[in-house]
Amino acid sequence: MERVTKRVVSIVLLIAGAVLAITALYMDITGSVNAVRGNLLIFGVILLLFGLYLIPTANHRNIINFLFLFPLMITFAITVLLPFVLGIFYSMTDWTGITFTKFVGLDNYIQMFKKADYLYSLVITFIYTVLNMIAVNITAFTLALLCTSRVKGKDFYRAAFFVPNLIGGLVLGYVWQFIFNKVLVSLFAGSMSMLADANLAFAAILIVGTWQYAGYIMMIYVTGLQGVPKDVLEASCVDGANQWRTLTKIKMPMIANTFTVCIFLTLVNSFKQFDLNLAITNGAPSRILGERVVNATEFLALNIYNTAISKNQYAMGQTKAVVFFIILAIVSLTQVSISKKREVEM
Amino acid sequence: MTKKWLAALLTGSMILGCVTGCGNSTNNATVSGDTANAGQASAAGESSGSTQTAAGKDAIRIVNGKIEIDEALKAYAKLYQEKTGQEVVIESMGGGVDINGALKGYLASGNMPDIFVFGGEGDYQTWKDHMVDLDGEKWAADTDFGFKDENGKTVGFPYAVEGYGITYNKDILDKAGIDPKTLTNAAAYKEAFETIDRMKEELGLVAVCSVAAESGQMYWSTGNHIFGWYLSAGLDRNDHSLINQLKAGELAEERLGEFAAFFELLCQYSDPNTLISGTYDDQLAQWAQGKTAFITQGNWIDPSLSTYGVTFDCGIAPLAFMSQDTTGVLADCPSWWAVYREGKNIDAAKAFLNELALSEDGQKCLVTECGAISPYKSCTIEPELPLARCLKGFVDAGNTYSWQWTKMPEGIAMNATGLVFSLYAKGEISKEQFVTMFKTAVADYVAQ
Repeated sequence: MERVTKRVVSIVLLIAGAVLAITALYMDITGSVNAVRGNLLIFGVILLLFGLYLIPTANHRNIINFLFLFPLMITFAITVLLPFVLGIFYSMTDWTGITFTKFVGLDNYIQMFKKADYLYSLVITFIYTVLNMIAVNITAFTLALLCTSRVKGKDFYRAAFFVPNLIGGLVLGYVWQFIFNKVLVSLFAGSMSMLADANLAFAAILIVGTWQYAGYIMMIYVTGLQGVPKDVLEASCVDGANQWRTLTKIKMPMIANTFTVCIFLTLVNSFKQFDLNLAITNGAPSRILGERVVNATEFLALNIYNTAISKNQYAMGQTKAVVFFIILAIVSLTQVSISKKREVEM
Repeated sequence: MTKKWLAALLTGSMILGCVTGCGNSTNNATVSGDTANAGQASAAGESSGSTQTAAGKDAIRIVNGKIEIDEALKAYAKLYQEKTGQEVVIESMGGGVDINGALKGYLASGNMPDIFVFGGEGDYQTWKDHMVDLDGEKWAADTDFGFKDENGKTVGFPYAVEGYGITYNKDILDKAGIDPKTLTNAAAYKEAFETIDRMKEELGLVAVCSVAAESGQMYWSTGNHIFGWYLSAGLDRNDHSLINQLKAGELAEERLGEFAAFFELLCQYSDPNTLISGTYDDQLAQWAQGKTAFITQGNWIDPSLSTYGVTFDCGIAPLAFMSQDTTGVLADCPSWWAVYREGKNIDAAKAFLNELALSEDGQKCLVTECGAISPYKSCTIEPELPLARCLKGFVDAGNTYSWQWTKMPEGIAMNATGLVFSLYAKGEISKEQFVTMFKTAVADYVAQ
């Protein structure tokens, strides 16, 4: 008997909830300004959830699991999944940021690869990513060795190297822009600002990028190096291995998984470089490609931003962002799978 | 069983609390009347209080794009409320904020202001479906600077006129024996630059001109402002021939050649560091400290001059790049205000604009407090700052050219033409290369 009442109550609740929620959504779609529609939707959803809870079924446990996951799932869906799907959709329209008038299919994707500025951005972003990854990791690993050696005041060094990472990229960028444009120019009288030359400006971003990020990566290496078991090191010492051998044959293989993490982090971060790029050069100076001129240091993220914001081509910006995501996903997944094979199991 | 129900009740109330919490924050302007939950209602009442007047009339909300005049506008809004009981909320954006992006966000979330700023042709195309026709307003007949749509109907409310050419330091010109009134063609400039260059040490100058042509941050100065002279100089305010030609991807080669020669002259007599890597602040500081005689900025530098303790007299001369005389300067509205078509307070917004444009208090706010020039013919209040005064002379005499550059395709200066300027300024390309590259850059940009 109780089963039947429960079933009836649950069905009534589910129907009432569905009706309320659908009415609210309908009101929203038809552009009603009635203020109760928000509350209506919430009540509808709550009734639906209660109805779901009361369904008499053997899978009650699964329903409970779902109910507990629901708040998080819905948040994740609204803030991550929905924008992502909408983004892909908008990339196939002529969206202006307000409305779109027609569906253009893959036209944006085709157009995109015909643009000299985009292709150039793509190439230099790859170059930057590779160079920055190497520079950051070498610097960070060297600093980590310094900070785990028996040098005096290593705690101070550790903190000092980490500080640049605590300062926001934009602030850092403007500070360094001042250094490149003013300080260095007056130190070497008669010289031109580094940021006025296409290659040197690229190097400038590389320097600042390394300076900012090496401290952070160093911390991860330090943790890794401290985790190398003492007995293994002592054993190698007894066997007569010198410092270099210990480093290359014991320490480095032992912290291979740290390398994976660090390389992955720097790879992704360098590829996504935006704030330093915006603050230090904002794309300048210009580089001559035949009869055309392109922004010499406009990396992909900045190119996407400029497409959407300064050119007011939101659909095209969105298209570039989707491709950006795909490239990033491919690169990082490949990198992780390669590095994983080389890790030593403890 | 009771335990189970209790658990269900608790979970339910938790979810309810969660969800209604979110619900209210999105609807707070409308929930205030709902007294079901006293605590929430009072919180909502507080936050919506700023958009409701005591009398129950809705406040007008304005999104202003010039952060510099924020305080002056707010002061006037207060005065207006005292006079009419109509509350006006000023929301200022600026200093690098992407106003269009913010407005698009407002539109998507149903939070559009009653009056919003737009910056010219490109923005007009984006927003035209949301603008009210303001043609019948009283102020529209009193100004030449209203933004007109394709059919010649006024849709944009002008609130300030800005102008530029080459701004000079009058004291230095006097000492060098140059009359700024004679600076009306390229040859006169060449002679003036040469004269001042010879007397550089005597006058304590580091260079003759302050020009900044770096492409990352100063593209707006070269690609928009200076290039604007190519598009408008010597032409009637309603002459759109050159801008229409540019929109079709073409340029008048001879005129561009003259323009290029003049820009080269400017670069030649500029301080190289400021020219190739200087920021706006560097450029302004150099000129304001009396280290150069000319600067390629307009009357918007007026309010900044006091921070540098400027005591010298200054004025604006035409950026006369042609061999024939050009005597006027480029003066126009940098941006306009539009009334939001789907807004609830259209009439109140229109009334406010009329009052701001035509009443004495309103004009005082625009001219004296904001330090600008009034676009309205009936305005009798004189500007106080030197460049504004000088500019007003040109405007009153009708000796101005329009800002056709605001009709260029969006982002062209930053992404295309500014780059060519920076190469030219660095001397990496010759005048002929500048002309060809410029044409390619424009054609490519228009084609996309």
